[in-house]
Amino acid sequence: MDKIIVTVIGKDRPGIIASVSKSLYLMECNLQNVNQMVLQNQFAGFFVVEHPTCLTLEAILSKLEDDLNGQNLKIHADMLDTKVNGSNNFDKGSISSKDGASEEIFFITTIGPDQKGLVARFTEIIASYNVNVVNLTAIFKGGDDPTANIMSYQVAINPDTDQAGLFKSIRNKAKELGLDISIQHKNIFETINKI
Amino acid sequence: MFNSQEIISTIEMVKNEHLDVRAVTLGINLFDCISHDLNVFKKNVRNKIVKKASNLVSICDAVGEKYGIAVVNKRISISPIALVAAPFSASEMVEIAHTLNDVAREVNIDFLGGFSALVEKGIAVGDSSLIEALPEALAQTQRLCASVNVATTRSGINMDAVLQMARAIKKASELSKADDGLACAKLCVFANIPQDMPFMAGAYLGVGEADAVINVGVSGPGVVKKAIERAVEQSPNIDLGKIAEIIKNTACKVTRVGELIGREVAENLNIRFGVVDLSLAPTPTVGDSIGEIFQTLGLTSIGVPGSTAALAMLNDAVKKGGAFASSHVGGLSGAFIPVSEDLNIAEAAANGYLSIEKLEAMTCVCSVGLDMVPVPGDISEETLAGIIADEMAIGMINNKTTATRIIPVPGKKAGDKVSFGGLLGEATIMNVPHATNRDVFVTRGGRIPAPIHSLKN
Repeated sequence: MDKIIVTVIGKDRPGIIASVSKSLYLMECNLQNVNQMVLQNQFAGFFVVEHPTCLTLEAILSKLEDDLNGQNLKIHADMLDTKVNGSNNFDKGSISSKDGASEEIFFITTIGPDQKGLVARFTEIIASYNVNVVNLTAIFKGGDDPTANIMSYQVAINPDTDQAGLFKSIRNKAKELGLDISIQHKNIFETINKI
Repeated sequence: MFNSQEIISTIEMVKNEHLDVRAVTLGINLFDCISHDLNVFKKNVRNKIVKKASNLVSICDAVGEKYGIAVVNKRISISPIALVAAPFSASEMVEIAHTLNDVAREVNIDFLGGFSALVEKGIAVGDSSLIEALPEALAQTQRLCASVNVATTRSGINMDAVLQMARAIKKASELSKADDGLACAKLCVFANIPQDMPFMAGAYLGVGEADAVINVGVSGPGVVKKAIERAVEQSPNIDLGKIAEIIKNTACKVTRVGELIGREVAENLNIRFGVVDLSLAPTPTVGDSIGEIFQTLGLTSIGVPGSTAALAMLNDAVKKGGAFASSHVGGLSGAFIPVSEDLNIAEAAANGYLSIEKLEAMTCVCSVGLDMVPVPGDISEETLAGIIADEMAIGMINNKTTATRIIPVPGKKAGDKVSFGGLLGEATIMNVPHATNRDVFVTRGGRIPAPIHSLKN
């Protein structure tokens, strides 16, 4: 069996996952991993699929497009590179990268109203320190509710990272933009929220 | 994955609800420093403390920075000086006190505890010297804390020691007259003193402990108060059973934070992790108060009828949450009600809601005792000894820790203000009925026998 990743995007409504998984099932494909999210009203789903070797990528994509025709969904399929490419499990507070060095996950969270180019400005700093963002949540709905005006970056810091320099630059940028900022190791969130 | 609500609530706990780690206390065993030569002993003690503790503050700060949670106080507890310095005289004990004060400054910690004696059943030579040295030792130093255990459930109350401690407190107060009796704020008298307590002024390292150990004291009155406030806002008619559940859940989270930080500090210092002390420890800051919790629960003020029941519920819920969070719970583990260290409690005393008698009643159901209570300077030794004996009896009979940290303020009377500065806070001097009586009861001496339920074997 070979692996592909199928991405499905479209306006959210009941039954999208059902239609995709049924189509894949009828092709005797096996779902290994599924993840979905809804941003505003747009659905995005990711399906890691094991498929019979007799089926080509193109054949699977074409069958999916036929089965989902009329549902106004954009479908994309790609071969999945199964080699371990650095950090492959971001759910742990401390993880091993390809060279065996330990990475630590920190949460950089800002609270404050939206401004143009906010994500771009922060990610530019993070990238300049060669640090990978492993997860990003950004919600800007306006109003006073802090949960409606939050950016939270999960970044993987490895031993070679200039951690103090990165955090200082980020804090300075937040101050310049008038945002409230917290930088904390992931374990504190685990400790408080996952009992 | 965490949702934004979980991320925000964690950040709120730290930023607006005063969640911190109140104390990381490094316990250091000094038995291998013993010598008959005072200079050798002092040198050994200094070398050992510096060797073990030189990185304590920087590591605590680094771990605090990593998690975004401040470790407010870094402290050291040592083996009881009355034991490890038993051959020395009272004046030599004062010299040792200076050495300990200097080394505390050298390793940059604010308090070092363990200028202590265990005399619940009798007073040995070293104990006697230490008790005699207490007033001078505490008046002449700034960072040294002392404690004397005068009672246990197993041994009863040593009334000779109670009277001696009352005299020591009075003398320490006189010797620190210029600072409103500040020396007494560094001196606790205990019943059933725990060996692993991280909180000052009572912290010392018990004789059954390892060579070095990290014990952690969590904080969290602000977090508990906010959690109750939110619940009451959402459902104004919420019952006490549900509130107890909220306190329990909150205490669990707070304890887990304390243990996370403590274990990491211990690992970095390559020292064994000991216990988490669950005590809710207030500071003289608005929003970080045990007293405010009483008001959130629906009482006019701490001290009014209902306060003992509220404290019993709070104390029990904190223990239940903490015990679930950590398998290594120790120290005092309850709620503190220190008068001057808690702004709201100090106000309750000043406004007449909280009397010393009610405070004593409340200590039956919480973890400490008459803590940071300023009293008139003309209080007699006998009345002071009587207050101590009463508090010790509560601890002895209820098989729990109790303590007194009473500060007679020279030249001042009930209703006058006194300020000790920093975490020690400020308060109005409490009225003590019959303060100048000279009752002979406490001067009879001897030992009040251990209660019947001490016969457990």
